[in-house]
Amino acid sequence: MAKAFIAGRRGITGILEGAERDLLRKLFADIITMLEPDTPAHEDPLAALIGLDMDATVPTDPALLRLLPDAVKNDAGAALEFRQLTERSLRENKIGALRAASLDLDHDKVVLDADRARLWSMALNDVRLVLAERLEIRDEQDADRVHLVQDWGDADDVESYLSLVYNFVSWLQESLVQAMLVGLKSRK
Amino acid sequence: MSVSTAPETDRAPSSHELISADVPWELIVWNDPVNLMSYVSYVFQSYFGYSEAKASKLMMQVHQEGKSAVASGAKEKMEAHVVAMHGFGLWATVQKGGGRG
Repeated sequence: MAKAFIAGRRGITGILEGAERDLLRKLFADIITMLEPDTPAHEDPLAALIGLDMDATVPTDPALLRLLPDAVKNDAGAALEFRQLTERSLRENKIGALRAASLDLDHDKVVLDADRARLWSMALNDVRLVLAERLEIRDEQDADRVHLVQDWGDADDVESYLSLVYNFVSWLQESLVQAMLVGLKSRK
Repeated sequence: MSVSTAPETDRAPSSHELISADVPWELIVWNDPVNLMSYVSYVFQSYFGYSEAKASKLMMQVHQEGKSAVASGAKEKMEAHVVAMHGFGLWATVQKGGGRG
């Protein structure tokens, strides 16, 4: 069983078992696949450099839309224009965080500095956003329903399995963020 | 937001100090049942440099009122902030200030 992340003198440390690391690696890889753009970077090198993507459209997959939400409410035109200017680099940043976290999964003991911990917290958060969409967590009652599934002996269907995975990743992220908050406090 | 350790807060939410004709844009962060309260507070502290008290106040406002204007200023700045918030996985939008929409 994993040990929660704790803040220490040498950074933030957590222990993850082999099966847990395999699971996280798989989850990170799934979300990287979701986030990889369908179209190659722009042919115009300047457009490619600034991440301009005039082909960007609103994602049809609600989980992907949750990762890449509209930045303007009630104005589809302005939201799309903003998406074309920014979505590609947002995708790349998210993929970068997910890849960084994956690379730290080679050993049981995971040791993170503040910057790496931030990337991990972002990667775990994106995993949770996608799982929550698949589990149809729309409000606090839904979140409570999923939270009640705690026994791996109950993992007899896809929904209860996903709920257990969601709860594990939530627990891991919570322990990581608590350790990061300790780090912020001691920095002051 | 998802419950973990909810800090005590008894202060009424105050309107932002920076609302003027020169700085008409706001960054709104919206509530969702997934993001951890601790994580939202961490993002507000680490990204904006807000104090723990201010970050907690804004986080509780998002949680209890459904949204909060967490920053205001020039349009370009708010647009950079909204991309950063989406990077963290928070649900955020930009809007012209004054509108409570």
